[in-house]
Amino acid sequence: MTGENSETRTRNIRFSAAGVYIQGVKTALASRMAYRGDFIMSMLIMMIVEFGGPVITLIIYNNGASFPGWNQYEVLLLQGIFLLSRGIAFPFFMGIVWNTIGRVREGTFDLLLIKPRSILLMTVVTGFDSEDLGKLIGGILVFRYALKNLPVQPASHWVSFLILFVFSLILMFAFALFMAGLGIVWVGNYRIYDIFMSVIDFGLYPKSIFTKTFQSILTYIIPVSLLASYPASALLGDLDQSVFMALLSSVVFLLLGFMFYFKMVRNYTSAGG
Amino acid sequence: MQGTAVKKGNSPPRVFKSVITATFKEHMAYRSRMAVSVFAQPVYFLVNYFIWQAIFQIRDTVSGFTFGQMLSYFAVSSLVGFLNWDDSGNVLPMLVQTGGFITFQLRPVSHIYYSFFQKVGHRIMAFLIEMLPVVCFYIMLGINLVPAEPFWVLISLFLSFVLSFLINYTIGTFAFWFVRTDGVRRAVYLFTSICSGAFLPLNLFPYSFQKLFFTCRFSLLHMYP
Repeated sequence: MTGENSETRTRNIRFSAAGVYIQGVKTALASRMAYRGDFIMSMLIMMIVEFGGPVITLIIYNNGASFPGWNQYEVLLLQGIFLLSRGIAFPFFMGIVWNTIGRVREGTFDLLLIKPRSILLMTVVTGFDSEDLGKLIGGILVFRYALKNLPVQPASHWVSFLILFVFSLILMFAFALFMAGLGIVWVGNYRIYDIFMSVIDFGLYPKSIFTKTFQSILTYIIPVSLLASYPASALLGDLDQSVFMALLSSVVFLLLGFMFYFKMVRNYTSAGG
Repeated sequence: MQGTAVKKGNSPPRVFKSVITATFKEHMAYRSRMAVSVFAQPVYFLVNYFIWQAIFQIRDTVSGFTFGQMLSYFAVSSLVGFLNWDDSGNVLPMLVQTGGFITFQLRPVSHIYYSFFQKVGHRIMAFLIEMLPVVCFYIMLGINLVPAEPFWVLISLFLSFVLSFLINYTIGTFAFWFVRTDGVRRAVYLFTSICSGAFLPLNLFPYSFQKLFFTCRFSLLHMYP
């Protein structure tokens, strides 16, 4: 009887959402390992590419120029947080976008629709992108480098930073939902990424460098400032009241993302479209 | 030319013109993909505009560049990027992986020339769909796009067009050994982008780096045009 219970428990864990996700990660890693050399090089390049933004910042500051109100290491901290958020989002759930676009194009999206799991979970699970772990390593390195050169922050700053960082990931997920939804109707268009990358580029720099109108757009309409600017301000103890509106806006953005994604899934017409 | 570019029986100009026309028509069916640039590039440019506007608030020049010159640099660099964009480093490995390359051995056209003229057709379409609207956006922003030396600009644009193709195609040939070449392609792309000044004008880098970058000659791709 105890043996049966234990077996049922193991089976439940294996078939839970987390269990299915871990299986997806294992499969993705195993298949990518067929070309190990290319995998390692791709991961390394992904990591180096992430240094692009911070290197530009260093060059700007080394030329005697600066962003008003921010010193070099504060900007690097902001960029480190941005890269950290992207480094978690891209390998772990952003793969939903290229996975959806590719499968809709090939016609294999239908195979996921007939699986006994939510279509959203299945696209996330089969979209794990191991190469993008390089982005995460790059983000950690920049974040660590900036922190080492800044004064030690109190625990209260860290708590508010962590809360805002979770919202940063929520926002990333919302973006992923919008892009994956678009990928269902805009067949085979990988350039959806370009739209996303251009928009989130605003998050790589301090909010204060933009005009008031853009600051409002980046806080209340598409809360890109929540990706790094607000978490960095929280960690540096320089948070303002507008963060609450940004948080509310990110939740609304996520809900709209879910609605949009599932509406697009309902509109999916397979080969008959 | 006859022996290397086109196999017996087909005059090169006719075949190449057909490749350009066919590529143009093929990609015209997916023109909305290319039109994404009409949104994405102005947004990228706006980010750069705000960055440099903030920096130039406290200085008049950075490494000899004024605010207007810096904006012109990024605008022209993006246009050169559109013109030079090349997918042969991606298409060739795909043909090797799927076995499609074998069919080119049977066709009366050499693949390297076929691939180059595909790029010509593709970029003609990019000129109409991507470049012209973005040029209009730059003109509306008051960016100076008038070349100081039109003749030399044309020469350097032609050279960078050919050079970018040759670099990408050479990377593509790695697929004959490695099959998957994403890593190599990304590494070379990153290296050439930095060395060519696609991210930042090379004058902004420390002197020792500038020496290296100008020695590599990748500056022909972006900096010189």
